[in-house]
Amino acid sequence: MKNNLIAPKADIVNSRQIALAGACLLPAARLLEAPSILAKYAAGDLLLPAILHFLLQGGLLFALLFACSRSEKTLFERLEIQFGKWSALVYIALSVYYLFSAILPLFDLEKFTYAVFFDTAPTSFSFLFFFLFSAFMCVKGLKTLSRTADICLFLYLIPFILLLAMGCFATDFTRLLPLFGNEFGDTMYAMKYSTPHFSDALLLLPLLGNLRYKKGDTVKILAGYSAGALGSLFFFATFFSIFSSIAPREHYAFAKIAQYFPALDIVGRFDLLFVYMLTIVLFYYTAMPLQFTTNLFCQAIGTRRTVLVSTTLNGGLLVFLLFCNKFYNTVYTVISGKLSFLFWVCAGVFTLLFSLLPDLKKKEKKNA
Amino acid sequence: MVVQNLSENLQKNLTAIKKILPSEDILTYVFETADKTACAIVYADGIVNKQWLGDLIARPLSKLDFMQEIGQNTKNEGTMSALKLEIIKKNALFPELKEVEKLLDIHKEILNGNSLVLVDGLSVGLIVGAKFIPVRAVTEPPTDVAVRGPREGFIEDIKTNMSLIRKRLKTPDLRFESVRLGKQSDTIVSICWLEGTSNPSVKEEVLQKLQSVQLDCVPDSSYVSAILSPRKHSVFHSVGKTEKPDIFTAKISEGRVGILVDGSPIALTVPYILTEDLQSSEDYFISPFAATIFRLLRFVSLFVALLLPAFYVSAQLFKIQLLPLGLTLTIASSSRELPLSPSLEMFVVLFLLETLKEASIRMPKYVGMSLSVVGALVLGDTAVSAGFLSTPAIIVVAFSGICLYTVPNFVETGSILRWLFLLVSGSIGPFGIVLSAAFLLYYLLSADAFGAPALAPFSPLNIHDLRDSVVKYDLADLKSRPRLLQSKNKTRLSVKKENYHEK
Repeated sequence: MKNNLIAPKADIVNSRQIALAGACLLPAARLLEAPSILAKYAAGDLLLPAILHFLLQGGLLFALLFACSRSEKTLFERLEIQFGKWSALVYIALSVYYLFSAILPLFDLEKFTYAVFFDTAPTSFSFLFFFLFSAFMCVKGLKTLSRTADICLFLYLIPFILLLAMGCFATDFTRLLPLFGNEFGDTMYAMKYSTPHFSDALLLLPLLGNLRYKKGDTVKILAGYSAGALGSLFFFATFFSIFSSIAPREHYAFAKIAQYFPALDIVGRFDLLFVYMLTIVLFYYTAMPLQFTTNLFCQAIGTRRTVLVSTTLNGGLLVFLLFCNKFYNTVYTVISGKLSFLFWVCAGVFTLLFSLLPDLKKKEKKNA
Repeated sequence: MVVQNLSENLQKNLTAIKKILPSEDILTYVFETADKTACAIVYADGIVNKQWLGDLIARPLSKLDFMQEIGQNTKNEGTMSALKLEIIKKNALFPELKEVEKLLDIHKEILNGNSLVLVDGLSVGLIVGAKFIPVRAVTEPPTDVAVRGPREGFIEDIKTNMSLIRKRLKTPDLRFESVRLGKQSDTIVSICWLEGTSNPSVKEEVLQKLQSVQLDCVPDSSYVSAILSPRKHSVFHSVGKTEKPDIFTAKISEGRVGILVDGSPIALTVPYILTEDLQSSEDYFISPFAATIFRLLRFVSLFVALLLPAFYVSAQLFKIQLLPLGLTLTIASSSRELPLSPSLEMFVVLFLLETLKEASIRMPKYVGMSLSVVGALVLGDTAVSAGFLSTPAIIVVAFSGICLYTVPNFVETGSILRWLFLLVSGSIGPFGIVLSAAFLLYYLLSADAFGAPALAPFSPLNIHDLRDSVVKYDLADLKSRPRLLQSKNKTRLSVKKENYHEK
């Protein structure tokens, strides 16, 4: 195999942006189906599987950050130093993983679009315009994506807080009681079926892979991720305390959470404007794995023809979505049920791989 | 064949110059000194002060007797030509004198408004800076009117514009560097910066870009702006524009680099970020609270201007819930019998607005009044009465049009984006609007010019620079220059707070 890797320019990502991605971009994954899935299996205990997910993902993130901290070189640079041309295989494996992890969010987003953006019957081609956007996003590099995290601070936080505040008018948090009222098995089921919505650590890997670690970055990034997790937990709690027993049937929770706000009857559904703002974050979140796929694949095969790769990828997904649209439930069951272990396996394998990369600091000291 | 250097024969020199500059407006005034030595002044008619030439050059020289002067100064050494030149320089009562030998240099100077003095027997000419180009007065620019604050505006003369800047920045650090652009227009383009404050790489980049292009003619600074823009097909500006010297100097003193173009009253500044459009010079002359409110108003108005017509169409076609029930019924009753679909109706009304706007700008002022009557009453009112258009659609477009003018620098871009949003909303409803917004935002995230990201300080997030973005902090809190500009001199204000504010 020819060593034709093109390592991305260093310092295209900084720790603030990764922290903000953890706080404001990744929680978008939990806005659509995650609350109803958790409520379906864990009912009032829906926070428990979510907390377990966050703890495990936080652990993986910590392991990756620890790996970052062991050298002044970035993780991807160290990978290429260690494995040379064979690191392309890792990039290809990662790009395949991201392609796989993009499927469910794409389906979710499509259903969400038709449910929330249209009162009338939409054409089945309406959503396909998303792939134009996605193709454009894939062409851009990680630098732009990391800047997306910055802008998501405003795009996510403002509408999220306002929607929650509006939702609080109809909440009854006692509906979450009693704590641990369900069997632990149900919690595990809830955890299993919601896995695709919580696979955060690996989604941050391409950003962490290009991070030139500085002192304090671990705290900053973990704090960002924890803030995002806390926000999501509060969102789940609010969601269940509004909808309670009908929560499992309330899909696309964030679009409905504020609908009982009294003023909406008088001035119209202005909460939808906040939902639309959050949808922009959702678009970025959904296209993000595809961007990773494009970038990592191009990096692996050593090409700069991102336009071609992006067009092929998005064109392929467009056709896939058109054909599999009718089998939404089947695809959903297969990925979130039967194949959910793959998310954990991949997370474990890649985290282990990057954690085991040799400590260059020690080597450098020895050489000195 | 053109003679490259001047000769000692006056007639030969005049013939050579006439060959290079055969135009009728290049005039020659021939006269003699007291000892009958032939002299000539060559100048371009209309851009030279003839009175100065007569009083300060021709008259003193005509009284001159070279032999007598040389005889009196017996101590002088050197050749006869050198002595003659010295005597001319001494007698010419003009501060701006320059020796020239090459014909190529001469024609450039003459065309720039300077005059050439030739004396028979001398192979050197003297360029006299008697340029006098009529310029208009310094007035308030019509595109940037201020209720409070300075009212001076740039004019078409670059020297006047430079003096307006120098008047405000009396520091030796203020530097101008000129380049000439345009093969035929030979326009002076002056780069302006504060040494030690602005980022030198920005100035270098500007200079490099200007030198890399050779145009025929540069009639306005917008040509230079196009050269400097890194994205040629973008609807968003990459270069800041202003007609006001107070804004220009404020930006220069922040650490930006300015560009003045001879013949244009619009000065350019780089790096430029989108937030600048939301700022007005008045924001700095009123209380920070008021400034913040006005900025927020502009920010909201901008979104209303861009999205209101699109959401109006979407609400009718795809998402009725967006409007309260009462309003939906009102709109439904007013548009029930319309022959056009909501999107087509909005398209027509917006087209009318844009046409009226375009016509009222181009039309002579005295016709403008009639146009307003025709536009507002005949087209608007009659179209509604005839059942061709609905009143809500006209209200929506009119409000959107007004909102867009709260951010005057964004009008061109805003108009284009409004059409785009209208098009997608008519096709795929609010989903299209949100998708287009995400698309534009992502495009802007990657749009850097002169090292500055277009969406700064929001992305990349710079908390320090947010103090003068949509919100405006008190002057005492704006101690440092914007970090975005990477200025070496970071401090712009040093304040003892206890003296500045009452405890």
